[in-house]
Amino acid sequence: MVKAAATRGDVHAANQSTPLISMRNIRKSFGSVHALQGASVDVHAGEVVALVGDNGAGKSTLVKIMAGVFGFDSGEYSIEGQPAKIASPADATALGIQTVYQDLALCNNLDAVQNLFLGRELTGPAWFGRRIRRAECEVRAREVLTRMRLGQLSLTRPVGAMSGGQRQNIAIARSILWTPKVVIFDEPTAALSHSASEQVSALVRTLANDGLGIVVVSHDIHNFVVNATDRIEVMRLGANVASFKSSEVTGEQVVNAMVGGNEAVNLAG
Amino acid sequence: MANSAAASGDVKRRTFGEVLNSDMRALPVIIGLVALWVFFALQSNVFLTPQNLSNLLVQSTVVGIMAIGLMFVLLVKEIDLSVAAINGVTSVLMAKLVVDYGVSPWLAVTVAIVTGAAIGSFSARWVTFVGVPSFVVTLGLGLALNGLQLVLLPPTARYGLMGTGIDKIAETKISGITSWAALVIGLVAFAALVLSGIARRKRAGLEASLFSRFVLPLGAAAIFGAIVVTILNAHQGIPVVVLIFAILLGIGGYILKETRFGLYLYAVGNNDEAARRAGVKVARIKMAAFAIAGGIAALAGVLGASRALGVGVFSGGGVGGGTLLLESIAATVIGGVSLFGGRGSIHAALLGALVIGTVQNGLNLMGVENYVRLIVTGLLLVLAVSIDKLIEKAMGQQNF
Repeated sequence: MVKAAATRGDVHAANQSTPLISMRNIRKSFGSVHALQGASVDVHAGEVVALVGDNGAGKSTLVKIMAGVFGFDSGEYSIEGQPAKIASPADATALGIQTVYQDLALCNNLDAVQNLFLGRELTGPAWFGRRIRRAECEVRAREVLTRMRLGQLSLTRPVGAMSGGQRQNIAIARSILWTPKVVIFDEPTAALSHSASEQVSALVRTLANDGLGIVVVSHDIHNFVVNATDRIEVMRLGANVASFKSSEVTGEQVVNAMVGGNEAVNLAG
Repeated sequence: MANSAAASGDVKRRTFGEVLNSDMRALPVIIGLVALWVFFALQSNVFLTPQNLSNLLVQSTVVGIMAIGLMFVLLVKEIDLSVAAINGVTSVLMAKLVVDYGVSPWLAVTVAIVTGAAIGSFSARWVTFVGVPSFVVTLGLGLALNGLQLVLLPPTARYGLMGTGIDKIAETKISGITSWAALVIGLVAFAALVLSGIARRKRAGLEASLFSRFVLPLGAAAIFGAIVVTILNAHQGIPVVVLIFAILLGIGGYILKETRFGLYLYAVGNNDEAARRAGVKVARIKMAAFAIAGGIAALAGVLGASRALGVGVFSGGGVGGGTLLLESIAATVIGGVSLFGGRGSIHAALLGALVIGTVQNGLNLMGVENYVRLIVTGLLLVLAVSIDKLIEKAMGQQNF
């Protein structure tokens, strides 16, 4: 098997369709700190893209810009070929970009249905106090969970009483409830056991097979990144330094690129 | 494989902590309340007479109503230590409007409630925008309001409310057919709400057991309601203040259990950052919670003034909130509302107020000195918070 670092151009050439998300030469500074210095990433439908890099490489900043948490100073951000107008997380959500946060952002005292619909409940009229249409929410939640092959997950237990893997699944289910185009996963396997990580890998693949674009930020290079993604974008000091096809690379090569011990760094630098 | 593992995890029996945390949370309180009643019934022949039980209920209403309001604030993981002061200052304002300016009682009461809500929302703004912890803001504000209360009072330090119309609220009782009609109206509203929920579930093809969802709760409510109405009718009828308390419990229960706003209170109380990311306007939810607590404290102040036939320095528990503040917080927490946010149901206000009211009433009947009552109430509060903390530990979850 040939395992070689490819330039970004080579990988992109393999996928000619208009990307769901295209970010070009994104620059972003926080005061005197230049977090991003011309970072780029494309995400196509059906593709799982990993963003990797050492701490401070800028990957988190890049996905936060993608998700509308931060704005950016210069560069191009387009969604399906159109310039993206995103000023808040809500704008990103409206444009079909969902994020599964590392801390999951679940309310432990609420059940699965309440967490899935939090902020977007189906409700009755204002004069009746916006009564939640629980039955409809429940049916819709069950549909999504069944699609994720989690049909037997309890809808009525508080999620705080569930296992880490189940909670992760609920956070993922929430992200796909409103049929997004792109789902961003921030460290999806950081707090999970090996078997739960594998379950998440399988879920990520299922979502990509359904035509979603997936972006994963992960430090789990040797297991998750190399095995569960299609393409790996390596970032260092706020810019892309290498791009790999996951099937053609080893964990060591990726780590080398991350820390600067690889020829790819020199090419990009 | 993984799915079947997940499934078996779901069908496992609930842990002790989970049971206590859910529908059964009220059980220890109810057992405690029954034990108190048995104890006081053995100590005093008067305790279980309709007249005394009616008194007990009326005595519990002011604290109970305060507890309903406080509950909204505790659910969002904040606290309002100014509710007693709001109670006092708005009742004095109401009395001043009626006595000094001849304003109609209806208008004066409305002004008091709106003022209470405005004060509450002011505290919330201070908490959410400036970032000062709510106990500091409301502690300071409470003292300031105590001062304002003294400013509003006349040189005699008292406004008498006899013959102003305000006194009618506490005097009025409904009895006979009207009292039963009130119960039936309440039950019909409850039944309609439950039935509409069941109909929706059926339409959606979900499980909707008529027995466990309808017959059981409605039957229990009907039996409980009938017992209360019978006892109250044996002594002059249902006091209007008790009816107001019951209506507030009903509305509060609907808001907390059925509405989006209610859900947001629980969400914000448990994880405000998650709620914010989900699009919930956290600051607005907190402001509404404080406004409700303030408005309801003002209403409780009006009812208290009506019972006392006047207002003065003592209104709202006096300077520093006195026992009214402590008893209101104690009632809420004893009833099962968590001081740590996001947990508690509306019946907490009723049960907690009844526990506080029972201790007060029973010890009075036994001729015990007031200091004993304070000691018992204080210890009950500590006990209740300890139980809350133990449940959290049994759940194996911090911040649950």
